[in-house]
Amino acid sequence: MQKVRQLIRPEQIRELSLLLIIILIVIFFGSQIENYYSARTFQRISSSVMIIMVVAVGETMVVLTRNIDLSVSSMVGFTAYLAGQQVSQNDNLSPAVVVLLAVSFGALLGLINGLLVAYGKIPAIVVTLGTLAIYRGALVEYGHSKNILVRDLPDWLVNLPRETLFSVGELDIRLLAGLAFIIVIIFQMVLLFLPYGRRLYAIGSSPDAARIAGLPARRIVLLAYVLCGALSGLGGFIYLSRIGTVGTTAAQGLHMQVIAAVVVGGVNIFGGSGTMIGMMLGAILMGILEQSLIRMQINEFWKDAIFGMFILLAVASDALMMNRLRDLWARGAIQMRIAQDAAVQKE
Amino acid sequence: MSTKKLFTSLLLVALLLAPILAANAQDGEPIIAEPGVELDMVLLPKDPGNPVFVEANEGAMEAHEELENPGELIFTGPTPENAIPGQIEIITSSTTEGVDAIMISANAYEELVPATTAAMEAGITIVTWDSPVMPEGEDLFIAQVDFSETGIVMADMALNLLGEEGGEFAVLSATPDASNQNAWIEAMQAALEEDEKYANLELVDIVYGNDVAEDSYNQALGLVDKYPDLKLIMAPTTVGIAAAAKALQDEELCGTVLLSGLGLPSEMESFVEAGCAQEFALWSFHDLGYLTYYVSYMIASGQLEGEIGETFVAGRMGEYTIEEDPNREDGKRIKMGPFSQYNADNFDEWASGE
Amino acid sequence: MLQNRDWRWLLRWESLLAVILVAVIAANIQMSSHYLGTDNFVNLFQLSIEKIIMALIMTFIIINGEIDLSVASVMGLSACLFGRLYDQDIPAEMAVVIALVVGTVCGTFNGFWIAYAGLPSLAVTLASSIMFRGVARILLEDRSVGLFPQWFNNLGQPDLIGPLSFGIILFVVLFGICLIVLQLTAFGRYVYIIGNNKGAARYSGIKVRQTKLTLFILSGLVASLCGLLLAARLGTVRANAAEEFELDIITMVLLGGVSIFGGTGTLVGVGLSILVVLNLRNGMSLAHYSGNIQTSVVGALLIASVLLPNLMRDTRRLRQWRDFRFRPRETDLEEEEGTWQAVG
Repeated sequence: MQKVRQLIRPEQIRELSLLLIIILIVIFFGSQIENYYSARTFQRISSSVMIIMVVAVGETMVVLTRNIDLSVSSMVGFTAYLAGQQVSQNDNLSPAVVVLLAVSFGALLGLINGLLVAYGKIPAIVVTLGTLAIYRGALVEYGHSKNILVRDLPDWLVNLPRETLFSVGELDIRLLAGLAFIIVIIFQMVLLFLPYGRRLYAIGSSPDAARIAGLPARRIVLLAYVLCGALSGLGGFIYLSRIGTVGTTAAQGLHMQVIAAVVVGGVNIFGGSGTMIGMMLGAILMGILEQSLIRMQINEFWKDAIFGMFILLAVASDALMMNRLRDLWARGAIQMRIAQDAAVQKE
Repeated sequence: MSTKKLFTSLLLVALLLAPILAANAQDGEPIIAEPGVELDMVLLPKDPGNPVFVEANEGAMEAHEELENPGELIFTGPTPENAIPGQIEIITSSTTEGVDAIMISANAYEELVPATTAAMEAGITIVTWDSPVMPEGEDLFIAQVDFSETGIVMADMALNLLGEEGGEFAVLSATPDASNQNAWIEAMQAALEEDEKYANLELVDIVYGNDVAEDSYNQALGLVDKYPDLKLIMAPTTVGIAAAAKALQDEELCGTVLLSGLGLPSEMESFVEAGCAQEFALWSFHDLGYLTYYVSYMIASGQLEGEIGETFVAGRMGEYTIEEDPNREDGKRIKMGPFSQYNADNFDEWASGE
Repeated sequence: MLQNRDWRWLLRWESLLAVILVAVIAANIQMSSHYLGTDNFVNLFQLSIEKIIMALIMTFIIINGEIDLSVASVMGLSACLFGRLYDQDIPAEMAVVIALVVGTVCGTFNGFWIAYAGLPSLAVTLASSIMFRGVARILLEDRSVGLFPQWFNNLGQPDLIGPLSFGIILFVVLFGICLIVLQLTAFGRYVYIIGNNKGAARYSGIKVRQTKLTLFILSGLVASLCGLLLAARLGTVRANAAEEFELDIITMVLLGGVSIFGGTGTLVGVGLSILVVLNLRNGMSLAHYSGNIQTSVVGALLIASVLLPNLMRDTRRLRQWRDFRFRPRETDLEEEEGTWQAVG
């Protein structure tokens, strides 16, 4: 038992159990759906979760600081529309410029959120509930209810979802899905190795302690929002290339899926704990559920109820199990100390 | 007498006679609209964010200028999440304000009726278009096409694409409670059962993309995965057909699984060229807005009674007659028609005309 | 606890609201000759009646330091349950009772996880809002149910008593009761104390869990009542009834000067903010602003309702700092608390 405790931390147990649940669910669907274990199924799931995963990376950083961003769906919609409009009007925009445009516009929207939260001292839920409506309203006004048309988009953009990074046997790893995965890994590295990453955790676990310790809490929170906006912008770009016909209602409701992925992935809604890998597993689990429920002969109308139950289960198991596990680990560490001390005294 | 004076007096006579001519129109002569009456009118779409309704508004604006109405034409609608209560709110506040006519594409068949009835009691003309309310809650309904005809057109397109040997096909619809789509699909199912020539067409599933691009995209691919022998997806919604076309294109399924339904030509152009959508139909929303405006203007100004059998001229669109609605008991309607059908053969024609 | 200082600030906030209200009303009168009139005033309340009744209970919950995002889904669920039962030939009276009971159960469900399992209300009610809406979808699928008995539909129409509707009378009565309970009874005081400091409240012997549970049970009950009112007003129910009502409800409460961290706020403020939001929306409707613009304005108002008092406090602190440069006050440190953290 001691050995186990030394080898893995409670967070890792949670991620492992999430992995186990994913495997069990895949086996379950495999037994229910014909031809489930195929390259096609992999394709569907990987390309349907890529947008959610990219946006959820930003959301995770915000949630780690004990805040929340509900406005991501409006940010994704607005950047997708704006990028689509610019690229339709100027054919010669290079891919890099379009991506940069989407990302920087997203960052700008995120900056507004961040300023209001960090410097305006307004609770995150109030700010982002408000900007969720404001950004969407602004988009509808800006877009005059005109759709972006696929015929106006350059070929490289329309064909982007088909680009394959590399193939393993029958499995094609698509460029965009690969990109999403790489972003998850990069930001996991940021959390692990950069001071900024550690500070996110510090602020989320105890804002007061972080302030007393002299961390520039406001700037850190602001940057988390800007990054969340920028990643939403990137999500908007992927949305544009995937859907093509983008209207002013684009990506409406996406924030629920993003938050669901984050929460199911074990990122504590009270901040301070959680990993990008966990979030990715959460997103994949939700993606598997959604894609597989479509293929089952299951009633359309049961989907939401099942979804809600999963999220609640994740939140509940988090609060109930994780606290107990952490206690157990802490107690184990203390017992070990006592045993060591006793051994020292004997000598 | 100079020619100028002669012309003026002739015009005067014509003007004097005009009301008499109009009064005689009941006897079968089509009524011609008299421009210049001041009327405030509200055009209330299901969702002002959907391009087809913006097209309808452009049509209404054309008629508004043509009829030289010095009043206001207001285009306003609810947010998608607040669709039904939002429409009720707009109808009620328009009633309070005392506009002369409200033209509604209804988000719900029953729920709007108390509000529209109150409006009618206040003397406001209620004309529905695109999607009606219950007959007691409206003056009349401007039907874009016959609902059963839409079903037959859908069945015919499927037959045309799949040929004699037929095969499996599935429907990708809007929301599960979209009354228009449900009526069309029902009509199509009825047609499939009744007519022998459709015997080989097998409708395997109906799924809903909720008129959300992403959901429609995922549902289209879900259909392909679920039915390995699927030959055709029929999407009677402009949002659904565009998203399904992109999904087929991204997964390199164009031509393997055919696509048809109701779509906007401008949105579908590149997909038809790429062979990802074979044939689709739609009526002109621009014309629908134009005709709706004409009818509402004429009823609100008293030039048209709104009774069955009346015939009138709707500007450039020509003669129409108010008739009994075959789909709704005690309902009155004007049928616009016809469908425009688009496929690779006639698409260039459309594109050059745009 | 409520200190003198807090009261003074609240009084100022409420007078600010009153000024805004007068300005909005003046603008409306200026803009539309149809604004003044019994019909319009009845409609003004009637069109949002479910939201304003719900805002009363939400006030308690937010003062208590929690939030309930599931109210709109509970409304939808109870309306759909009523419709489904009525459709299966269960008498309407019976269906009303069952719908109310189930709404109460939904509230208890939320309350249990929050008060006894100690889960954050934001996460619990977010999840349960998806779940309850899902159950509503299962109940009615794509159908709509209507043709309710006349007595039921009458509950949702104006002119029931004089020009007033049942909902408006219920709102006025509930407002009175809530005002008394929150401002004058021991229960009301507990709600404030818990919102200010949960830990301290528990040590001082207040039954924190019971209080929270009671509030969520009440929230479920009133939400299902509002769902039935909505069904009566529309005359038909379907699965997406009351979708996204929570934005308006929470806005009304926060604009009323209730702190999202709990502990402060009054029902008088909420009452004033309800009037502001209703008149603003009514004015914008009369001026034919589309739904998206209206929602955006409400969203901006929501942000402003917290930003403004923050700025007011900051400038005041700045002044204090200038006046007492050599004598820093303890309260300055106190006010730093609870700046950018989420609800909980």
